[in-house]
Amino acid sequence: MDNATGLHVMDMRTDEILARRTRRQRKTALVGVILLGLVIWSVDVTVVQDTDWERIGSLGEVMEAASQFAGIDFSLFPSLIGPTLETLLIACLGTAMGAVLCVPATWFGAMNITPFAPITYPIARLMMTLSRSVHEIVWALFFVAVFGLGAMAGVFAIAMRSIGFIAKLSAEAIEDIDPGPVEAMRATGANTFQVMLYAILPQVLPQVIGTVIFEWEINIRRSAVLGLVGAGGLGLVFFRQMNTFNFHGVTSVIIAILAIIFLGEAISHAIRRRMI
Amino acid sequence: MTANASPASQAPAIPKRWSRYKHPESLYSYAGWLIAFSVVVFSIEYLNIPLDRLFGMFGRMGEVIAQRYYPADIDYIMDRDYLGYVIETIQMAYLGALFGLLITIPLAWFAAYNMTPSKLFVYPGARVFSMSCRAVHETIWAILFVSILGYGMLPGVLALTLFSAGFAAKLFAEEIEAIDMGQVEAMRATGANLFQVMVFGVFPQVRVAFTGIAIYTWDVAFRAATVVGFFGAGGMGWYLKRSVLQIETERVAAIILSIIVLVLISELLSAWARNTVMKMK
Repeated sequence: MDNATGLHVMDMRTDEILARRTRRQRKTALVGVILLGLVIWSVDVTVVQDTDWERIGSLGEVMEAASQFAGIDFSLFPSLIGPTLETLLIACLGTAMGAVLCVPATWFGAMNITPFAPITYPIARLMMTLSRSVHEIVWALFFVAVFGLGAMAGVFAIAMRSIGFIAKLSAEAIEDIDPGPVEAMRATGANTFQVMLYAILPQVLPQVIGTVIFEWEINIRRSAVLGLVGAGGLGLVFFRQMNTFNFHGVTSVIIAILAIIFLGEAISHAIRRRMI
Repeated sequence: MTANASPASQAPAIPKRWSRYKHPESLYSYAGWLIAFSVVVFSIEYLNIPLDRLFGMFGRMGEVIAQRYYPADIDYIMDRDYLGYVIETIQMAYLGALFGLLITIPLAWFAAYNMTPSKLFVYPGARVFSMSCRAVHETIWAILFVSILGYGMLPGVLALTLFSAGFAAKLFAEEIEAIDMGQVEAMRATGANLFQVMVFGVFPQVRVAFTGIAIYTWDVAFRAATVVGFFGAGGMGWYLKRSVLQIETERVAAIILSIIVLVLISELLSAWARNTVMKMK
């Protein structure tokens, strides 16, 4: 008797499991079909209809257009040193500024230390998302309009773009801290500022510095293109070489960009490995 | 006698006074801060940042926003034409991320140190390729492809493809490097070839992570897609460029607002989708 009901229950379970699996398979198939339809539609619109195949011509002509870039204009390298340094320094200064400006956003955006959660927490989250969702080119356009052409607009654009990332990761680090030291400091009568300086900061500092260095590495890549909209650095040289159809010079600029990015990646990797 | 002496000599030397600063570490950290500050000071000097006028410039910033950008021209972006460009941007991001992910699968396999077919040749090659894709900014890819293929959405899709490939390959390779090697060893022991190991030993372990990375890549590609059009590669960036050149600042403000709203929506969608995928695990 017991055995029979047990089997019956098991049968029901098997049925249910099988039915669930079929449902899940159907769901997956449906999602797959929708995605495939989207792909076909997008390919049709972007690649088939919108592309001027006459202009592109045959594969040989495409290769010919691409081969214009094959070659390095060595005479350009001496004049690239200044802009390369400028790009690197824009990234450094922008990251430093972003790291300073992100302090209020981090403070408000960490759930456990935010002063008044219902209001300050959403404000901080909005600030972070705003900063990350606007592309660095758009930030640069805005700051070029405000400050005029030059490196300063680039520094501000990089700083604004960095705030979101640094603040988000730092706020998450603060949310994960050990609350013991905070409680202990509060119990001795420390004020909010003292608690932050002596209980929270020492716990998150290595992580925050790691984040800042990682962001610096990304910012080198970004600052290399800000010149395209007038914010100084290698982007400006790239733009000039492109507009004067000096394609070998374009390759030289790209090599310079790659060089500083690899340098930055090596430095950031070395520092972060030593710190962790 | 020797038995007596040895414990005493092995006992750690007790420091006379406790100090917050340990000798070599504190030196390194101070040197690090010193270098960081001197770089900042040198940058300010080299880039001619006018520190004395800096705070006045914040006032000017508010003035510029209030006078030129403030009443954003919302009607302009409610146009059907503009909405068409928005859909183009979404398609470009979608296709770019998809093609990029298709490249990523072999690329991440070759660039994962534990699974790569050849550590001597394939691994460095794949690493350098994915690093170069990532290192060159998406706008530079867009400019290069526009100069080769002409204006349109195809160069945009190709630029986003390379961008997404570089971005996703790094994350995905790290994911593959973190797998449990036990199953791989077991499969190798039974004589499975490279492909079989990859498909049945590695892929089931990283499937969920890969889906998460794919969704995140789409999100990032969309953010990049909003500006590749600025250099002629289709989508709403072209609208932005036109308004910027015409100095129609109120339209620029409206377009930037629309970009922010769209990116917010895509971020929410991607967060929701990633949560769903993680729960399905």
